[in-house]
Amino acid sequence: MRRCRYRLLAHTADLLLEARGTDLPGLFSSCVLALFSLLADRRTVRGAKVRTAEVTGDTAEEQLFFLLREALLMFSAHKFLARTARVTIKGKRVTLTVAGETYDSSRHLVDREIKAVTAHAMVVERSPWGYLARFVVDV
Amino acid sequence: MRFRDVEIRKLSDTMWEIPREGGMRVPGLIFASEAMMGDIVRDEAIRQVMNVAHLPGILKCSIGMPDIHWGYGFPIGGVAAMDAEEGVVSPGGVGYDINCGVRLLRSDLTVDVLRPKLRELVGALHREVPSGVGSTGFVRLTAADEEKVLVEGSRWAASRGYASAEDIDCTESGGKLPDADPEAVSVIAKKRGRNQLGTLGSGNHFLEIDEVAEVFDEEAARAFGLFPGQAAVLIHSGSRGLGYQVCDDYLVTMADYMRRNAIDLPDRQLACAHIRSPEGNRYLSALAAAGNYAFANRQLLAHQARETFLRFLGMGPSDLGMRLVYDCGHNNAKFEVHEVAGAKRRVLVHRKGATRCFPAGSAEIPATYRHVGQPVLIPGEMGNASFVLAGSPEAMRVSFGSTCHGAGRRMSRTQARASVRGKSIVQEMEKRGVLVACASHKTLAEEIPEAYKDVSEVVAVVHDAGIARKVARLRPVAVVKG
Repeated sequence: MRRCRYRLLAHTADLLLEARGTDLPGLFSSCVLALFSLLADRRTVRGAKVRTAEVTGDTAEEQLFFLLREALLMFSAHKFLARTARVTIKGKRVTLTVAGETYDSSRHLVDREIKAVTAHAMVVERSPWGYLARFVVDV
Repeated sequence: MRFRDVEIRKLSDTMWEIPREGGMRVPGLIFASEAMMGDIVRDEAIRQVMNVAHLPGILKCSIGMPDIHWGYGFPIGGVAAMDAEEGVVSPGGVGYDINCGVRLLRSDLTVDVLRPKLRELVGALHREVPSGVGSTGFVRLTAADEEKVLVEGSRWAASRGYASAEDIDCTESGGKLPDADPEAVSVIAKKRGRNQLGTLGSGNHFLEIDEVAEVFDEEAARAFGLFPGQAAVLIHSGSRGLGYQVCDDYLVTMADYMRRNAIDLPDRQLACAHIRSPEGNRYLSALAAAGNYAFANRQLLAHQARETFLRFLGMGPSDLGMRLVYDCGHNNAKFEVHEVAGAKRRVLVHRKGATRCFPAGSAEIPATYRHVGQPVLIPGEMGNASFVLAGSPEAMRVSFGSTCHGAGRRMSRTQARASVRGKSIVQEMEKRGVLVACASHKTLAEEIPEAYKDVSEVVAVVHDAGIARKVARLRPVAVVKG
């Protein structure tokens, strides 16, 4: 299982995340895995089933925002937890493929409710080591 | 007082003005003490009050309550009234948890009577009132039932025997917001809401048993049925996943509307549409539907709590006397008539982390309370205090009939967790005289009392500013948290 490169930064009410990637697809998959890591310990999730989502956006921020919305919906509407994530980008179109399984309360501890991913203060930027993103989730 | 390069002008001991600058259409107005302002200027809440002042159709001022803190787009603890004809509606001005709010149930019992069996009672409430992520309610809704909930709110609960006529009367807007349209609520939002009706949720939502510790206003307390030493139940919850999804869906709709209509604002989360546009109108219909879901949700939670008390204590309803004092939301947008520049105008008041507080004489409050003003319920930090206030005329003059909504966070969740590392919060709270039953110890750590402002200071500001008046202080003795 790939380690997900992210950290939590100080935010008074909600959770502000910062994730990194060597390239844009890597950054986006780090962001998706950060989101699922906030929900549950990914080591307890089996990668038995595959789910995909596709979004389009004019800017990297827009692409990331729509991608994270779809990722969160996998859990909030379909009770699906991801263990791994892969992202491909072709022009404006971003495709997310995750491997995981349906939430099982006997094996998965989901003790935080994430209401939504917000566009507030969302940043995608180049950094000396590749790419960096910051985004706020409402909890 | 300065916020970066902005000079904030002191108007009185409790009021501060942020002067208009750049694209601000109106000034900002903050209710806070000097000490609280020191905290408030440390995060981005002031900037957000200024950003809200850019919205088309905003009237008089962009307002921040003393419990204000950094939100997304609008600050939490923000109030903005828009002209109903020319103004905009913004989902970010309501928040994700649409019509999140508080209800207070009073009883004929004193806490002293409950104390010997309090631990078992809290355990029973924790079992019977669903809380935490993934919990489901005791009612199974069909798609048709859910549509009725969205239109009827608490009145749907009454039709199923889960609410009395008195419950309906003592709920803001009679527990049913007008013009709700289930068609304006997406399939995904309905799916998220189907199994969650009657669930507390997680985060800062709770059910607590309180003791009426102090009465400040005898007449109002009497009208609300409150007396010192009394046991009461306070419930804080909202519209669950359905409301979150409605907000999320319409933020995207409105971002698209802004692009098409060339509306330029300083923050994407301020996405809005003109009230009279099809997009604005549809959001308002979905907002009312989600608001009705929240009323029904809190009604079912109250029903479960009441039934648990009755069963556990082996009492009849008339001996327990557990009646609803009031239910008020603190995340909504409502059409109201207010005086602006000497004339009555129909406005849309956004309250995000702010409570409506209409004064004595208002036709929109229950007849039994009309001589003292609307009950306003202010939950505080866990283990300290909560307050019952009453609406006042000054709020109609200066804050569009609005006041604060709670303590307001001052510490981030990561800071809060770090500060309690290695300690048992349940034991710590017990030492302070509060029994805690919780679904998640992680959430509990994030909700420690130190993570919040002192609710007594918040309430002192709104009382001194005259935008609500103190009626009673409640002291929690047991808390069920999601």
